[in-house]
Amino acid sequence: MLQQLMSANSAIELRDLTMRFGSQTTSSVLAVDRVSFSLAPREFVSLIGPSGCGKTTILNLLTGLLTEPPEGDVRVLGKKPTAGNPDIAYMLARDSLLPWRTTLENAAYGMEVRGLPRSERETRARELLKQVGLGDFADKYPKALSHGMRQRCALARTFALDSPVLLMDEPFGALDAQTKLTLEDVLMKLWSEHQKTVVFVTHDLAEAIALSDRVIVMSARPGRIVADVPIDLPRPRSVRKLQADHRFHDLYAQLWGLLEQGVAGSE
Amino acid sequence: MNRAFRLSLGHAVFIVAFVGLWEFMSARGILDPTFFGRPSGIVAYLWRGFVADKNLWKDLFYTILAATIAFWGGSVAAVFVGLLFAMLPRLHKACEPYLTLLNSMPRIALAPLFLLWFGLGIGSKIAVAVSLTFFIVLSSTVAGIKGVNSDHLILSRALGATPSQIFFKVTLPSAVPIIFSGLRLGLVYSLLGVVGAELLAAEHGLGQVLAYLQSTFDMDGVMALLLLLVLLGLSITVVMNWIEHRLLVWQ
Ligand SMILES: Nc1ncnc2c1ncn2[C@@H]1O[C@H](COP(=O)(O)OP(=O)(O)O)[C@@H](O)[C@H]1O
Ligand SMILES: [Mg+2]
Repeated sequence: MLQQLMSANSAIELRDLTMRFGSQTTSSVLAVDRVSFSLAPREFVSLIGPSGCGKTTILNLLTGLLTEPPEGDVRVLGKKPTAGNPDIAYMLARDSLLPWRTTLENAAYGMEVRGLPRSERETRARELLKQVGLGDFADKYPKALSHGMRQRCALARTFALDSPVLLMDEPFGALDAQTKLTLEDVLMKLWSEHQKTVVFVTHDLAEAIALSDRVIVMSARPGRIVADVPIDLPRPRSVRKLQADHRFHDLYAQLWGLLEQGVAGSE
Repeated sequence: MNRAFRLSLGHAVFIVAFVGLWEFMSARGILDPTFFGRPSGIVAYLWRGFVADKNLWKDLFYTILAATIAFWGGSVAAVFVGLLFAMLPRLHKACEPYLTLLNSMPRIALAPLFLLWFGLGIGSKIAVAVSLTFFIVLSSTVAGIKGVNSDHLILSRALGATPSQIFFKVTLPSAVPIIFSGLRLGLVYSLLGVVGAELLAAEHGLGQVLAYLQSTFDMDGVMALLLLLVLLGLSITVVMNWIEHRLLVWQ
């Protein structure tokens, strides 16, 4: 019944998703409250909201990493979430590179876990490292890389998986402003070349607007959707050039108002 | 002249001066050689032991042999048990109080018991050394495995890694540096355990020679033996540093 309600052609579909942690205990936490949204294939959507509003929880629910079951329905390419779903590539806030592996071996790690043959992994990893600008660093260990370079390597690892759906949890949250702009441009380039469906979690409004087709604004905990705003800036975009675009600033002002409203509404 | 060279030259000058002063003061009767030995006597003792009579080779051999066996046996068992504990946390919890109990015992105190059980041969000192090495390596293995970065685990799980993939690709390599520092300490302690047991009683071994020399008030010999033990400990450190450097290039 519910399945019929779901539109057949969406890549990601959340319907009345509610997540309560520790529901068996007295101190249960309502993290996500009746959240519904969907993504068309190859759409880039940002989730933005105050810290603790359940953004990471939503991504974890999409990957099937959580042990407690949610209420409502979640579909990724029509399938229920299972841990290790090959359709999904997950990128965490911290680069989580394995320090005992070289850049090349780290870029190939995801493919290795998923059982791709060695020669194919290496070719793809080298190709991706070139695309993120780390071609000359293939044999370096993570300790020799800067923050920005480490995150580039994590991007290479994520895109090398060639999964149709990408979940990114504040991937540039820890970077300085300049490095961040550079990496956002790298991400835009990869995304337009690789044609992925992306859910991008951030608490940086400018970043959300610059990258996305739509920005979903969430309220403070329990996380609810406050607004779902299409970003009609033309593509291809240069994140750096957008900083001077007045439409970018109009959208910023509009979304900022919604975000404030979401924080105030739950207090 | 570069800094490193000047530094080693400085150390060499200091050591020569120290030994010279020691020899001079012993010759003048300011330092009593019956309590402190004297450098020329120490050299003479070592010459007899390794070149003229060659009787020390055998004891050196037995000490090194026992320490090596104890180190390998103790650490292999400890790493194995540590990994087993990682896979079976409930077994670990059940065993923990007993391990704590055994570990808080001063292990040298077990030597009389082991001598009774295993005799004066190589078995008793290996047992003492293993009882030290095992616990050191075990606790570092357990700590290393617990110290795995949770981000690495989340990432691997999201990728669909199987438990054995997670173990061999994440948990084990991340534990290697800490296990290694346990092994380094474990090797030092197996030498300690072996020499300690030999001091008490043994057929062969540097510890036994040391006890004999002490009982006959041969201070040159005692000092020579201490020097030998220092060199032995030092070479352990050098070898372990070298292995660590090769093994952990990524650090
Ligand atoms: N495994 C968990 N058990 C209990 N509570 C959790 C768990 N994971 C997250 N939470 C709680 O759920 C809320 C939302 O967390 P999270 O999704 O991490 O927020 P965000 O990513 O938006 O900052 C927080 O209050 C957090 O404490
Ligand atoms: Mg989060």
